[in-house]
Amino acid sequence: MSFNDGKWTSESIHSLIDTEQGKIDPRIYTDQELYELELERVFGRSWLLLGHESHVPKKGDYLTTYMGEDPVVMVRQRDGSIKVFHNQCRHRGMRICRADCGNAKAFTCTYHGWAYDTAGKLVNVPFEEEAFPSDFKKEDWGPLQARVEIYKGLVFANWDPEAPDLLTYLSDATPYMDTMLDRSEAGTEVIGTMQKWVIPCNWKFAAEQFAGDMYHAATTSHLAAVVAGLPEDQDLSVFQPHMKGHQFLSEWGGHGCGFYLDTARGSVRVGPLVDKYYSEGPAFERAKERLESKMPYHRMGASHMTIFPNCSFLPYGMNTVRTWHPKGPNEIEVWAFVIVDKDAPQEIKDELARQNVRTFSAGGVYEQDDGENWVEIQNALRGYKSKTAPLAMQMGLNVQGKNNPEFPGQTSYVFSEDVARGFYSHWVRMMSESSWDTLRPEPAKATTLSE
Amino acid sequence: MEVAELVKPFKWADKSPSLELQHEIEQFYYKEAQLLDHSEFEAWLELMEKDIHYWMPIRMNRLGREMSQEYTAIGQGGHYDDTYETMRGRIRARVSGVNWAENPVSRTRHLISNVIINETEEPNTYEVVSSFIVYRNRSENQADIFPGERRDVLRRSEGGLGFKIARRTILIDQSTLLSNNLSVFF
Ligand code: FES
Ligand SMILES: [Fe+2]
Repeated sequence: MSFNDGKWTSESIHSLIDTEQGKIDPRIYTDQELYELELERVFGRSWLLLGHESHVPKKGDYLTTYMGEDPVVMVRQRDGSIKVFHNQCRHRGMRICRADCGNAKAFTCTYHGWAYDTAGKLVNVPFEEEAFPSDFKKEDWGPLQARVEIYKGLVFANWDPEAPDLLTYLSDATPYMDTMLDRSEAGTEVIGTMQKWVIPCNWKFAAEQFAGDMYHAATTSHLAAVVAGLPEDQDLSVFQPHMKGHQFLSEWGGHGCGFYLDTARGSVRVGPLVDKYYSEGPAFERAKERLESKMPYHRMGASHMTIFPNCSFLPYGMNTVRTWHPKGPNEIEVWAFVIVDKDAPQEIKDELARQNVRTFSAGGVYEQDDGENWVEIQNALRGYKSKTAPLAMQMGLNVQGKNNPEFPGQTSYVFSEDVARGFYSHWVRMMSESSWDTLRPEPAKATTLSE
Repeated sequence: MEVAELVKPFKWADKSPSLELQHEIEQFYYKEAQLLDHSEFEAWLELMEKDIHYWMPIRMNRLGREMSQEYTAIGQGGHYDDTYETMRGRIRARVSGVNWAENPVSRTRHLISNVIINETEEPNTYEVVSSFIVYRNRSENQADIFPGERRDVLRRSEGGLGFKIARRTILIDQSTLLSNNLSVFF
């Protein structure tokens, strides 16, 4: 297959991101045609986060969600596997399942009654015998099935049969994911349900920020959240931004994270009880033992991460995991959930859930100020000048010597836009290269990564 | 509180409370709304008991047969799940001048109505349900509407506005929150 170039040729897409000069063409956040291409080329071909295995613990449990703008159902099967299929009836296109979650033995379309089993197989068509041609085949008209793979509890799906498997796709980012997902042999579980809210902004602001922007947290964005978490006898005058830390950019795929180094892990963010659970005691020692062969885990503090394109999370006790669902170039829905070590004491689970609501949720003292920034950017981008003046992405450009070999992969200074440049470079590749022959990572690397 | 109970109507008593009590509690709510709508957040915090649970569960789209699970249970997160301490932190943030989501300051209007009061076995303690519509207008053209119901436990108090809020459960009439954040109190 090759891309049918309309207004956006491969060349013009390449010119949108200038990694050498560190410039972003703002139209990547606003252009309707680029957005349509994103649905096809980014969201139609990437591994997308849908939820956690424990969202659907029992057979027949389902969760409805989206891949790009396509509605899908994620269902636990009788054999314990998880299937994901297009939440759209092939008869006239009705949404098959209209609840957010629940348990079902089958799904019946409410328009004309076509019925599907929990695997998404069309099993009953009313009046089939009386009214349909004799060569009508039910097996031809089941909803589209997506590929499903799970990485340590997180469920991802992909529409593209040609895309590399999930582990290859995650490239060398998995050790950093493990700091949240693999602290204990028991793994993680979800607390509660999905929290959803609407932000009128482009999805890339959110995804890129969680990939590579510790800068906003260390400067002005989250001062109010710091005040909210301080003991009563302290005020903002005690706030000193932590200056030590790193960014990690995956070798392939535009995934990135950032983390502080050698810092108190921050009861301001997670409260003293959870802070303690993450910095001392048996759970911490065990996590250290599991993760320390890959990196000096015990030195890592607050951390943020994005798996390209729109899966983001915050390890170290903040533990919010979310998909930034695109809803047009100018809007997203945030679908966020909280996970915790499955074998954590109940009091830690309870406290972590409460702290999450307090900090990283729609009304969270951190998160509410992010929402304000992205909305104001998107508003400003309506202007002609706003759309034509490039945005600066030069932090860390040509700054050498910041790689820390103690950590896996390519690292740089915590305040850098290396990850942003990597994120947008991969976006350009996904938007302009039609074939996985050129897109896919080297197969040799893929094997070493999946060990 | 059982979440299955939240789906059902508030259980009102057969006997209505006195007109005077009805009047007192409605006046309390109107004054509380004045505090919220005029950014008197520290005074508003004063209305809360130290053991308050301020809770707004998440509401899901459920099929009828699973409506008893419409709300997330206590301890399972929510839109708010706060103690007095964490509310105090939120108010500190709000009045700090650096809470950018609310500085420049939003214009809000809390409309409170449909107040039903039950006296309880404890003296001077009341279970009260009320409806609200909160309108927020901010920046140049942002407008949000948050409708819902509050289920409160109020205790009569000396001084102040005459009552304190010992528990507040907020049932918002939205599943996906239709705003860019929830930097609003109810
Ligand atoms: S659209 Fe589903 S049965 Fe007709
Ligand atoms: Fe932030």
